[in-house]
Amino acid sequence: MPGRGKLIAVIGDEDTCTGFLLGGVGELNKNRKPNFLVVEKDTSITEIEETFKSFLARSDIGIILINQFIAEMIRHAIDAHMESIPAVLEIPSKEHPYDASKDSILRRAKGMFSAEDFR
Amino acid sequence: MYGFKPDKATEMRVDQQLRLDEQLLLFMDQLEALEEKRHKLNSLIEEGWFSIAKARYSMGNKQVSALQYASEMEPLVYVETSVLEGRTAEFKCERKENKTEELKSNTIEDIGAKETISGLRRRINTIQKGVREEDQETDPQVKTKAESSTPEHRDPLKWFGILVPQNLKQAQSAFKEVITLAAEIASLQSAIIATRKEMQAQTKEQQQKTEKTQPEMKNE
Repeated sequence: MPGRGKLIAVIGDEDTCTGFLLGGVGELNKNRKPNFLVVEKDTSITEIEETFKSFLARSDIGIILINQFIAEMIRHAIDAHMESIPAVLEIPSKEHPYDASKDSILRRAKGMFSAEDFR
Repeated sequence: MYGFKPDKATEMRVDQQLRLDEQLLLFMDQLEALEEKRHKLNSLIEEGWFSIAKARYSMGNKQVSALQYASEMEPLVYVETSVLEGRTAEFKCERKENKTEELKSNTIEDIGAKETISGLRRRINTIQKGVREEDQETDPQVKTKAESSTPEHRDPLKWFGILVPQNLKQAQSAFKEVITLAAEIASLQSAIIATRKEMQAQTKEQQQKTEKTQPEMKNE
């Protein structure tokens, strides 16, 4: 059980999960649900969304790392998340490089530059 | 001669505008820092994938996949979160060091071991010429091997075999660095959102004040 710190969750394709698990973020035991989800070709969007929401609901997760192409599938759920903890970080995948214009956080930050602000 | 002395309202407006400018500069700095860290994160992740692919090439396709994941895992890295004033969240990465515990030797076994070893040593010493002074100290000699603690603390690298190629180790160190960077980026993102909210609030405040003073000016 984590003492003081929180966990880092991962929702990504196989290689992304393998990499982060090698880094030591993974938690898997019979008492608790895992803090990662390997998204394959046949993984349903419902499952991804439910996993994401369950990570948000957990109080022991500090950061959620998610491949951007998967984030696109559940963009509405990510945009709806306004709290600062857990933080959601979008990362590239092998087939889809990182696109800053799609990132939820940056879109929120970009939104400030409207005509209203400079009147 | 140039008798223009700004009134209080104007002074306040100027102060507010200066504050807004400062916020804007801070915002820009934060965005720049974020872009830099993001760039580094993305290239490290790609480096990690490349190393994993190379390891897969040398070990075999099915030897580096989700099939190798352990059935039980314990996290070796945690993130400390704290919420600062202004609702900014800070994230700090903390890694659990893999401490090898000194084996708490069973005294009975130890004595047994000591006897046999000192016995052997005596035998060796009679064979060899000269008396060894090290003969006297038996404790350090009988140090049984320090085992790594419980299996939960095992290095995830071991899931893929005892002897793993260097590439897999490189992938691991790349991803370890990615994790640390991720925590820094998460902090920055939170700070950026907070700065933006602050700027919006200040702009709104300024607009409201301008609207209040404008009707006054019209009446004059």
